[in-house]
Amino acid sequence: MGASKKESVEVDKKKNSKKTQTTKKEKHNTEESVLAQKQEGAATDYKELSADDDSEDYKSVGESEAGDGESSGDEGNHKSGSSEGLAIDGQSEDSEPDQGAEESDSSEDEVAPRNTVGDVPLEWYRDEKHIGYDIAGKKIKKKEKQDKLDSFLANVDDSKNWRKIYDEYNDEEVELTKEETKLVRRMLKGKTPHADFDPYAVLGLVRAIRKGYIKFDKPKEEPRFYMLWGDDASSSEKTGHLSYIPAPKPNMPGHEESYNPSLEYIPTQEEINSYQLMDEEDRPKFIPKRFTSLRSIPAYENAVKDSFERCLDLYLCPRVRKKRINIDPESLKPKLPSRKDLRPYPATCYLEYRGHKGAVMSISAEASGQWIASGSSDGTVRLWEVETCRCIKVWEFGEVVQYVAWNPLPELPILAVTVGQDVFLLNSGLGNEEIQRKVKELLHVETPTAPEDSGNKVSGWSWRQDDEHEGIRLRHFKSVYSVEWHRKGDYFSTVMPADILSIHCHLIAFLFLALESIVLCMKSISHT
Amino acid sequence: MVARKKPSTMVARKKHYRPPGKKKEGNASRYVTRSQAIKQLQVTLGFFRRLSILKGIFPREPKKKFKGNNHTYYHVKDIAFLQHEPLLDKFRDIRAYQKKIKKAEAKKNADLATLLRTREPTYKLDRLVRERYPKFVDALRDLDDCLTMVHLFAALPAVERAKIDVELIHNCRRLSHEWQAYVCRTYKLRKVFISVKGIYYQAEIEGQKITWLTPHAMQQVLPDDVNFSVMLTFLEFYETLLGFVNFRLYHSLNVKYPPILDPKLEALASDLYALSRYIVSNTRTSTLEPKAASSSPSEQLEAKEKEMQADESELRLAQLQHQLPSNEPGALMHLMEGAECENEDDQDTKECKRLFKNMKFFLSREVPRESLLFVIPAFGGVVSWDGEAAPYKEADQSISHQIVDRPTQGHRYLSREYIQPQWIYDCINAWIILPTEAYMVGRIPPPHLSPFVDNDAEGYVPDYAETIKRLQAAARNEVLPMPGVGKEDLDDPQNLLVEGYISRAEASEAAQTKKKMVTLEKQYHEELQSELQGAVMKKSKQGSTEHAKASEESVPDPKQIAEDIETMSKLGMSRKKRGLLEAIEKRKERNTARISKLKERKKKLKSSEN
Repeated sequence: MGASKKESVEVDKKKNSKKTQTTKKEKHNTEESVLAQKQEGAATDYKELSADDDSEDYKSVGESEAGDGESSGDEGNHKSGSSEGLAIDGQSEDSEPDQGAEESDSSEDEVAPRNTVGDVPLEWYRDEKHIGYDIAGKKIKKKEKQDKLDSFLANVDDSKNWRKIYDEYNDEEVELTKEETKLVRRMLKGKTPHADFDPYAVLGLVRAIRKGYIKFDKPKEEPRFYMLWGDDASSSEKTGHLSYIPAPKPNMPGHEESYNPSLEYIPTQEEINSYQLMDEEDRPKFIPKRFTSLRSIPAYENAVKDSFERCLDLYLCPRVRKKRINIDPESLKPKLPSRKDLRPYPATCYLEYRGHKGAVMSISAEASGQWIASGSSDGTVRLWEVETCRCIKVWEFGEVVQYVAWNPLPELPILAVTVGQDVFLLNSGLGNEEIQRKVKELLHVETPTAPEDSGNKVSGWSWRQDDEHEGIRLRHFKSVYSVEWHRKGDYFSTVMPADILSIHCHLIAFLFLALESIVLCMKSISHT
Repeated sequence: MVARKKPSTMVARKKHYRPPGKKKEGNASRYVTRSQAIKQLQVTLGFFRRLSILKGIFPREPKKKFKGNNHTYYHVKDIAFLQHEPLLDKFRDIRAYQKKIKKAEAKKNADLATLLRTREPTYKLDRLVRERYPKFVDALRDLDDCLTMVHLFAALPAVERAKIDVELIHNCRRLSHEWQAYVCRTYKLRKVFISVKGIYYQAEIEGQKITWLTPHAMQQVLPDDVNFSVMLTFLEFYETLLGFVNFRLYHSLNVKYPPILDPKLEALASDLYALSRYIVSNTRTSTLEPKAASSSPSEQLEAKEKEMQADESELRLAQLQHQLPSNEPGALMHLMEGAECENEDDQDTKECKRLFKNMKFFLSREVPRESLLFVIPAFGGVVSWDGEAAPYKEADQSISHQIVDRPTQGHRYLSREYIQPQWIYDCINAWIILPTEAYMVGRIPPPHLSPFVDNDAEGYVPDYAETIKRLQAAARNEVLPMPGVGKEDLDDPQNLLVEGYISRAEASEAAQTKKKMVTLEKQYHEELQSELQGAVMKKSKQGSTEHAKASEESVPDPKQIAEDIETMSKLGMSRKKRGLLEAIEKRKERNTARISKLKERKKKLKSSEN
């Protein structure tokens, strides 16, 4: 069995070696050569890819391939001198040196055959004593042929005999290694010679190529830059979104930022020290420095940071369009009219009302504008005609007159006067008879009886007919400052300090009285 | 009667009471707080942040903050705008996809993970740029922050911890160089200011003043208290924006964009990157041990040298870009176009173009080369530097100015002037060629003033600003500088020309007459003014005398009257206006205090000098 195997191997080998010798430059048809080709093709693919991007994975794959090649080369080394058996591997690769340059070019692989006869049928030397010539041109003698029996006996003794092959070309016996026999066996079975070569990976690659995942022609690179702004006239299309607010430009550097500023820009040491005492915000961020020559300027340590801060400003700061305030501060002030423009205004004294002996405390004009009443600190109230300065009437009170006020109704010419603790309602005596009658009727009050004092105290005032001045006298419990009529003439109010003891004694006692109901009011009070 | 009353009470109720489920009214219906918005959009805060940055959505201030002061309010329309953004869906897709990858990795399915990685979905921001800036001018108007950021990142080291990519930094550098190349090429630069923070540039493009800040060419230290993801989101948008802006600008020059660079220089750039990376790792260790770093100056020196080297190669790249338009195949066309451009140029551009004309500069090793290489050609000068690939060598006899920033200069060519770099910047800001005497090697240069300050409005004019003003007037042939000040004018060619016309004596005479005229005029104006005031005063006095006659009591005092009028008018103001006025007055006061402080310091300095 062993012998038959050996023979078959031998035959096979011979066939192969012959083929490689005869058709060195032809394409191989044998399975292994095709496979080898594929393998190489895959390798080249990988190589291309790895050239594309230097990914280590591809490299490692490539290396493993290369390693395979080398290992086979090493195997060849074991059998230096007789490369017949190895020729399958080595020479098949040799035949396509352009493809598998990496794998087959090692010199160890290429150990030249001893015989230099070249690619000639060995039959030519059958009858000669030599088989060919070595490099030096000397004849290589044929070995003495052993006796067939002897050789057979020897073969039987030798357990490794089945591995031995006779190399006719070099006239040698070659012993195959274990690995080589494995290779041969795999090839006989129609498998790929290398066990660690996966044909399905190749299939995968083929599929990837077919599907276009792996592209061999690099995509045509488009020019990165082109004419983006063709003609600006056409590009005035309006965008639908909000208006763009350009970021404000950074401040321009002043003289003090110069590398060689004028001396007056450089703060003294004391000033620099004083900066330390300042508040963080007030402290100047930049302290001018002076370098006497350009070569002595150091690198600015905050260059990157400044740039970064600008970036932050650009994308983090809210932007608002603000009108630049470039106004003359004078224009902010409202223009006061000059006195000249206000003319004509009374500039000279035109009328003078003489008669009062003390300071005039208050004046009031009658509704018709014909009369003026004035109250003075000399204790008199005088009634004047406006146009003629004539004093028509004088009331004397003997106390300082604080305030006078006319009833705003023209048909009721009543004058309210405050004197000390009293408010007098006086009949001015103006107007026709009917008016006078009406006024007199209004100003007539019955004198309340004495026991009503307590009720008066509660209310804070008391009504009394004042015959002396032909009017009504309202007595308050404190001095009255002023009196004011309602514009309809029905009510009036008086003001007096609320409490002397409390310091914030603003005031206030408002009395609302209807003139028409005064009598009624009084009556009701008297009744109760 | 009853029936009529009922609805009125209903209406009155509705104002105050909103039954549940009814629509809101007023500010509460128009604004939402941030957390509400996030809920509505169904995104995380980080997503929301990112989206709002990219979309340019910002909070708005409602008139009434219905949820209190501590909330950020967004307008409902803004949020709806975000909700309809296709990018939102895209982000979700990307997130889901990343989960897939993670899953594959967790299952140790490396093949799948790698396969998935090759097909990761991406997104573009082009549409957003167009949406946010419908016109090109809008984009230019908002370009300040963009440029500042891109220039800052161009100077930053790549740090993995902060997710600052190498490619990102490269891209920033490229974009910033492209921008600078355009500005330089079209002579659009107007003002430059060296501050402690960096160098401010201001260009004027299409009538828009664009100001940006570039950090000094030093190693930047990354602070820990900065959220880089926010900055990177901003940068992502800015990169896209600047790319498109550059495209448009280059297109207007008829130059292809992106510019194609020499592969050799590209290789150099990568080399440069490796160097910068190395420096980063160095600085990282040095930040860990600041003491060690400070204690070993030699190490620092080394780092500096490396930086210089890095600068050099970078500069070569920049230089190439500067030269690029002329290197293009259609160089002739460019020439033609250049001629056309000159007709179109406004007055400013023409003047800028002429400033350094016929001057040849050479930069020593220690000057800020990148800035000067940008600035000098932008004002019409020719410049070279110490290093490889320079257009001309130091020994070139036609060099008129050599820019040096060291205490002493060893070997000197007599045909050229040795000046400090500040001279260039001061000339640019003054728009005239300043006398070089004050900027000689080894001297402390005169103060460098900010061109962004309106001295008159500020109320305080530094001495040197006045000197420059006088020199400017001299350059315009109006008035010659005061005798004694302008003796250094002999040095520069423009003033020499002027002096050719008028002899020295005549000049001083003219100056004096002019001065007299000015003083006379001033006096006249003052008198006029005082007359006017006097008339007013007299009138008021008359009025007051009248008043006095009438009252026979109060003694009229014009001051008192003025005060009275002031208080009267203040009394008549509304509260709002009064507040405003007070604020204005406060500000004025602060300003005057500041100015008086400056003056006081100046006085002290002078007295101490004497």
